[in-house]
Amino acid sequence: MNLIAKALKDGIQKSGVNPAMISMPSDIPFSQEVTRELGVDFFQTTRGRAIAFGTGLKLSNPALKVMPVAGDLMTLGGNHLVHGGRRNMELCVIVVNHFVYHTIAGKNAPPMTSAFSPYSTFEEPFNFPHLGNSCGAVFTARWTALHTDDLGQSIATALNKRGLSLVEIIAPGPNYYAGIEHLDEQLLKFYREQSEVKNGEDPRHVAIAPDKKIIVGNFTDKERPTFIDQYNMQLGKVLGEKFTPHGVIDKEPLPGGKIG
Amino acid sequence: MKADPKGVLTGTHYIDGDVASGYGALAAGCRFIAGYPITPSTEAAEAFARVAPRAGAIFIQMEDELASMAAVVGGAWAGVKTMTITSGPGYSLMQENIGFGASLETPFVLLNIQRGGPSTGVPTKTGQADMMQSRWGSHGDYEVIAISPDSPQEMFDYTVKAFNLAEKYRCPVMIMSDECVGHMTEKVVIPPADQLEVEPRRYYSGPPEGYQPYKPDPDLVPKMAKAGDGLKLYISGLVHDERGYPVAAEEFKTIYVRRLVDKIRLNKNKIIELKEEGVDNADIVVVSYGISSRVAVKGVEMAREKGYKVGTLRLVTVWPFPDERIQELSSKVKAFVVPEINYGQVVYDVARCTHGKANVVLVPHGGAGVHNPKDITDAIEYALKQEKRIEGVVEFKTRLEKLVFEGGMKLKE
Repeated sequence: MNLIAKALKDGIQKSGVNPAMISMPSDIPFSQEVTRELGVDFFQTTRGRAIAFGTGLKLSNPALKVMPVAGDLMTLGGNHLVHGGRRNMELCVIVVNHFVYHTIAGKNAPPMTSAFSPYSTFEEPFNFPHLGNSCGAVFTARWTALHTDDLGQSIATALNKRGLSLVEIIAPGPNYYAGIEHLDEQLLKFYREQSEVKNGEDPRHVAIAPDKKIIVGNFTDKERPTFIDQYNMQLGKVLGEKFTPHGVIDKEPLPGGKIG
Repeated sequence: MKADPKGVLTGTHYIDGDVASGYGALAAGCRFIAGYPITPSTEAAEAFARVAPRAGAIFIQMEDELASMAAVVGGAWAGVKTMTITSGPGYSLMQENIGFGASLETPFVLLNIQRGGPSTGVPTKTGQADMMQSRWGSHGDYEVIAISPDSPQEMFDYTVKAFNLAEKYRCPVMIMSDECVGHMTEKVVIPPADQLEVEPRRYYSGPPEGYQPYKPDPDLVPKMAKAGDGLKLYISGLVHDERGYPVAAEEFKTIYVRRLVDKIRLNKNKIIELKEEGVDNADIVVVSYGISSRVAVKGVEMAREKGYKVGTLRLVTVWPFPDERIQELSSKVKAFVVPEINYGQVVYDVARCTHGKANVVLVPHGGAGVHNPKDITDAIEYALKQEKRIEGVVEFKTRLEKLVFEGGMKLKE
């Protein structure tokens, strides 16, 4: 987790956002040393519910910057990402993708066996940037945990986007740090060698596949009204002057845009 | 503290229990509800959504009940009073995050308009079979508070009280209502804001580095904090110490769970509210809650007309359970009669507290309807006739059961 923590710290610093205003709901356990170092409020949520928990934080206090960290390949929380994107809820979502193909770019990846996959992994992983973009995310990017500088920059951009942004980090799961010291080193080296930077690439073409390199970069960057913008516009339209807009409105609502 | 007038719809209303609860939430200071529509609870969410903007509150329809419950816990940590509204299947989906909220000692309110179960059950008809689930439906040891109103006026009053209890004890409070009370329309009087007492959140106010989110006050309840105050909160569903940091050793687990249950158990005399009528010198006491207590009124009235000495004890607070009061009455009465719309849930807690000193008669009901008051009268009569002490719980055979299982009723839809 240290590489990710470093990138998060770097990203927060570059963003100019006051860390005290950042809430980080996460279904991945970070150590208290790391979260205190980041200076954020940290919430270890139930598995898969970081985005849902973050939605509650954001709507209850719109002045907060909410940065949900989601692990577990979004298996448990997939639907929350889909709907968070559709609503354009102001969340800076960090997806930590531990799932890596057995083979990448035609080469064998270091073994990814675990108790649940004793014969190594074989399922298709999600193409998160494509999924996020399709659902309406305003910013999508992917980096490996080794691209700390680029990753930090992406996080800074994502934190300042109005709406749901999604930054995928390819990283070994924290379990791999527990006892197999050599493995993560081997795996990280592998990530480095087998990834290719393609900023601006159409996210439809960045799926992680056995015969392709891992495409990393900042893929999409667009603008859409956020959930709170839309809420304020709609209720303002119906209720007129009786309605006090919800939350801190620091910028003009964006002109209407459509998902996609 | 007095209620914020912006959220109080002062006046005399003719509304159903669901709507009254939605209005009660806004009056109590609730400013965020996340929910997912489910019959028969939907009107409560609709009512709140309609009036929320006048008080700067917000309602969101989430993607499901898991998300709703998680958002409600998140919202509470952002510094507002929060609630969710559901029924049967939605309630089951919420359980993991209810335990999460209890573990984080998060104040929030959950309104469950119970319907017929199990599973999809009978969405449009009543039930009282989620009572045990409300107590320990999530995994692990924890205690919550559960309240069971029996009229639209009480739906308003006890929704306000539920929020006050949640703040006072930093715990989830369940309003365990049911379809009948939820859809019953009666007069509801909402008082002026200055006559409505609301409990403010007990926030920490010392230096940031001194805050420990789980360091208890003398009443065992720790002070709350909120995100964005620069406290570098570390809040986790893992077993934690007073600083909130994860710990796994059994001594920490003991300290943690002990206080989680004791803050409710040791304060229960301050929490429990009962409504008793005619229990002094009674031979039989009818113990009931929610809609069953409304039906019991008629059953008891008919029994009294026959000359029987019958009292009623209404569990306004079902959890924590009034062990001592039941124990006390056990040595004074012949039997307890417990009508509930299930095949025995709360009745076993009544029996647990009698220590064999009084008989306990369950008047069951399978749901999708309420008791025939005559069954309650007959059960009282039956209980009076028993000469011997009967171990455990005796089940009274109702008219409906006799008709269905012993012939006489043609079953057709």
